[in-house]
Amino acid sequence: MESIEYGSNIIVITSSISAKASFIRKIIAEAEGNTGSIYVTTRDTAEEVLDKYKNNNVELRVIDCVSRLAIPDLADSESIRRISSPIDLAGISTAINKFLEEYFRKGKKVILIFDSLSNLLIYSNIKRILRFLHVLTIRIKMAKAKAFYIVDKEACDEKSLIMLKQLFNGVIEIKEEDNKRIVKLITPNIRKEWEEPLKNMF
Amino acid sequence: MRLGIPVLDEVLGEIPIGKSLTYYIDPEVEGDIFAMQTLFSNLNKHKCVFMTTSMNPSSVRAKFKEYGWDVEESENFSIIDAYSGYVGDTSDERYFVTDPSNLKEIDQVILKSTEENDLIVIDSLSTLIDMCGEVALDYAEKWNKYAKINDSVIIYNFVAWPYEENVSEKIKSLSNAVIEVGGIHHRVILGQYYGVVKIDWKDTERKLILFKIVKPGGVKAYIPKILVTGPYNAGKSTFVHAISTRAVSVDRLGTTVALDHGHVEYKGFSIDVFGTPGQERFDPILKLLGGEALGVILIVDSTKPEDFPRAKHMLEMTAKSGLPYVVAANKKDLPSALNVDEIRKKMALPDEIPIIPCSALKKEGVYEVLEALLNLLTGG
Repeated sequence: MESIEYGSNIIVITSSISAKASFIRKIIAEAEGNTGSIYVTTRDTAEEVLDKYKNNNVELRVIDCVSRLAIPDLADSESIRRISSPIDLAGISTAINKFLEEYFRKGKKVILIFDSLSNLLIYSNIKRILRFLHVLTIRIKMAKAKAFYIVDKEACDEKSLIMLKQLFNGVIEIKEEDNKRIVKLITPNIRKEWEEPLKNMF
Repeated sequence: MRLGIPVLDEVLGEIPIGKSLTYYIDPEVEGDIFAMQTLFSNLNKHKCVFMTTSMNPSSVRAKFKEYGWDVEESENFSIIDAYSGYVGDTSDERYFVTDPSNLKEIDQVILKSTEENDLIVIDSLSTLIDMCGEVALDYAEKWNKYAKINDSVIIYNFVAWPYEENVSEKIKSLSNAVIEVGGIHHRVILGQYYGVVKIDWKDTERKLILFKIVKPGGVKAYIPKILVTGPYNAGKSTFVHAISTRAVSVDRLGTTVALDHGHVEYKGFSIDVFGTPGQERFDPILKLLGGEALGVILIVDSTKPEDFPRAKHMLEMTAKSGLPYVVAANKKDLPSALNVDEIRKKMALPDEIPIIPCSALKKEGVYEVLEALLNLLTGG
């Protein structure tokens, strides 16, 4: 993933939970050092995310779109911004920008992980999501950050997937079959496909 | 009825009954709080209703509370729940839209709420457009009429996602007043501002106010900081005094030993200008100051290229995280002054960095320097 340039917005398409988890772990590992991470979660709580990566030497900020659905008055913290619901795309946008500004003023590069777009589609129609992503992808480009947007292939219809792909300047597709993990990476400058045995995590 | 927003209350006065107002919000800026603050400011004296489309009513109350606004205590507060129906929940709220994608039902609920309330806040018109289509704007025109007939005031939040131009134009023409809530776009959003775009009940000049959100408290106007830095004797203090309407310096033995501080009103912004001391012993405070500044003016003495390395070093310290900056090539009137190209080459500055010749002593070119920096900040 190091070969992907900063300023890129990459859509990551997979139907395997384990592949997704492995991929994100690799991205977080890459973020060690003078890089900050922003994790937008639409499924796990912020605490679950922070716990997963507590052993990585990475500065992590979490935008939690889940917890306040159950507990509306859960407080924010220095590393967590909670959004009232996944419908509140403006809330997600401003939270991302606040963390981008924080890292910018610290002089850090930024990696953003958006987990996941398919969960957002449960709450909003594709047009609404596309408008949101149009603004976000431009911001990522201007901020010279790197962003990975996870999509669960099983939870997204083909038409929406085609429309989504058009907004991104790179695609990673991860499939698991015959005890192998097949990864395809396509950006304007890179075209790679490789296999990994399933036991060999990213 | 007042807006409850700093400066705007003085500028706009009371909102006349029957009027409508839109907060036109940059999608990357925290703007939904404006309508909430307006509502809370009027809750003591007026019956107010908040329509939610993107969060459940408990979250709405919790959000008000985050800013120190306890709406639960007020009998004047109620909610139009246009969210729960969308996720298949029921609702105990006074006003409930069972099918938030049904504009006819929303229309009936809003009609009823304008009859029973003095202030109606719609959060947000953009979500209604996303869920129901652009026909929501036609309904909004009807809601404005309901407000007029029933002596209410209606306030819309509109998040300016990249809609078709006709939608944005229609939004701006829909209401009697439009307040823009925007961001200072650089690589990231460096600051946030609000200002009046349109108002039909009072003559007012366009004024932009920078703000921060505090919890508790809400929207607070603040004055941004521009840093003026540069080597010893480059003319920083003279520059600060030249552009400021009022300025203070603390000197000892002919050199600055504390910050020069000036204030300037320019293009609707009120700006604090801080000039740093040039001597190396003051370097530690440069990093500290840069952390809060919106931009940097680097003053160089055009006649002293031997000071350019020092200038670059100071710039790196204050603009470490990529703050926008411009270079003021001071003392341009002196015979040995280098020209812009020569300065750019000697300092190895990229082409896109503005270098503006000036004479702070003669007050020539100083506003062009400020203009160049503000253009970088506002994209103007």
